[in-house]
Amino acid sequence: MSGSAWIDGVFWLLAVVAIVSGWRVFRSQSMVRSAFLLLASLLGTGAIMLLLAAEYLGFALIFMMALEMTVMALFMVAFMMNPAGLNPMSMVHQHRTAIAAGIVSFLGLASVGVFADFPDQPAGSATTAVEDLGTELLGDSMLVFESAGVTLLATMVGAVVLANRRGRRGLADAGSLPPPLDPETPQREGQPAQDGGHHHHGGHG
Amino acid sequence: MGSAQVAPWAAVAAVATALLVGTYAVAVLDSALGQVISGGGMGLRRALALPWRKAAFLLAQERIRTERPDATLWALAPALYGGLAAAALTVIPLSPTLVVADLRSGIVWWGALEALVMVAVYLHGWAPNSVFPLIGGYRFVAQVVSYELLSMFVLIAAALPAESLALTDIVRAQEGVWNAVRHPPALPLWIVVTLGVSFWGPLNLPDSEDLAGGTSAEASGSHRLVWALARAAMLVAFSAMGATAFLGGWLGPWLPGPIWVIVKTLALLVVVVALGHLLPRFRAERFVSLAWTVLLPLAFLDLVIAGLEALR
Repeated sequence: MSGSAWIDGVFWLLAVVAIVSGWRVFRSQSMVRSAFLLLASLLGTGAIMLLLAAEYLGFALIFMMALEMTVMALFMVAFMMNPAGLNPMSMVHQHRTAIAAGIVSFLGLASVGVFADFPDQPAGSATTAVEDLGTELLGDSMLVFESAGVTLLATMVGAVVLANRRGRRGLADAGSLPPPLDPETPQREGQPAQDGGHHHHGGHG
Repeated sequence: MGSAQVAPWAAVAAVATALLVGTYAVAVLDSALGQVISGGGMGLRRALALPWRKAAFLLAQERIRTERPDATLWALAPALYGGLAAAALTVIPLSPTLVVADLRSGIVWWGALEALVMVAVYLHGWAPNSVFPLIGGYRFVAQVVSYELLSMFVLIAAALPAESLALTDIVRAQEGVWNAVRHPPALPLWIVVTLGVSFWGPLNLPDSEDLAGGTSAEASGSHRLVWALARAAMLVAFSAMGATAFLGGWLGPWLPGPIWVIVKTLALLVVVVALGHLLPRFRAERFVSLAWTVLLPLAFLDLVIAGLEALR
């Protein structure tokens, strides 16, 4: 079997993985399974980028998506108050909007596929894609990318500081009340939290 | 993608051999060093036979089941974890031309694999539908960013003097002086990363005793064997990377290059496995505090040293 036949075979395999797992995202009944099926779909896409000799971008996509899908799974589980994420729940909602958005984006992307003029010369192994990308990121567009990077970093540091329990003025949750186990029970006034902070501002409102 | 194309069958055979020999070496070192450190003498014959006995015992053991597990993901998680170790080994060069995949972005490949390690361990904890494995899985995700940032910073510091993301170039740039000497915090930090990603010894938090075995609390028989093999394989892959990126890879006098890579990898394995027996297990929150307040600034320092070196 020649080299290009191998590559074609791998491409179709990855395309099937990407599409089938993308479809299964919406048929699964579990937040965790859906998140990791979406990851499988994106890994297929990332591997296709590797086939296109976009080595750096392909690895970066795999790297980012592995982190992001895990974070997404954890946040979904946390927000749904379903600690294990094992209880079945539907992964589909807002049917009409979703169908309309799906059709519009499919037509949009398909029209790009049909009408765009793609280059057809194969990328050789001597391509300098990584260098070109580096020059693009740190050359003319450096100001844009660096500003975005520093802004994101500052946001992350800010979020960590805000979320930190310890601080100069004591623990962040001093004086706050744990939620009652029974939602019907009104919260009792003045009941201290585990750290017993009675001097919290507005704690006795 | 590389300079020399390796035939597919040769690549598979090379990686499989490295995995088999490497995991066996880890198992022998683990039992031998454990005995030496606890004052029982080397007992080499016993140490050489013990891994086979343990493996045979686990293969004969009955598989236990949990109530309504996600059987597919539970079975796939150890395979994914071991597969990532194998994929990681493919970029390790044994000599300037002897490398399975001489990727131009080898370091980025490594980063992508590390991110997927988190997925494998989380799923291994989530899939059995059981309390202790689940806690172990969440614990790993909560601490993994601490390793991953360290790992990325020290690897970028190794790439800076080479002006390349390819591992062969990184080794070539160490002619004369190794990265471990050029920027001293790199190797100790890499050892922390190695212990963390394979959750070995002091950093065995997801599979720890206080969680009754953590993500592998419900694993038995062949499943437990595959999980143990995959963890040992990950230890081998990260030690091989440490030998390549910080200890000069194939560079060395008298002996041929591949021998040097193997010797350096084994030396790192001895250090890591011995540390596993010598240090007590960290508490999760203490380790995360240490990682963010001490180790991460140290990694920044490492990057600054490497950057200044590269500018010189």
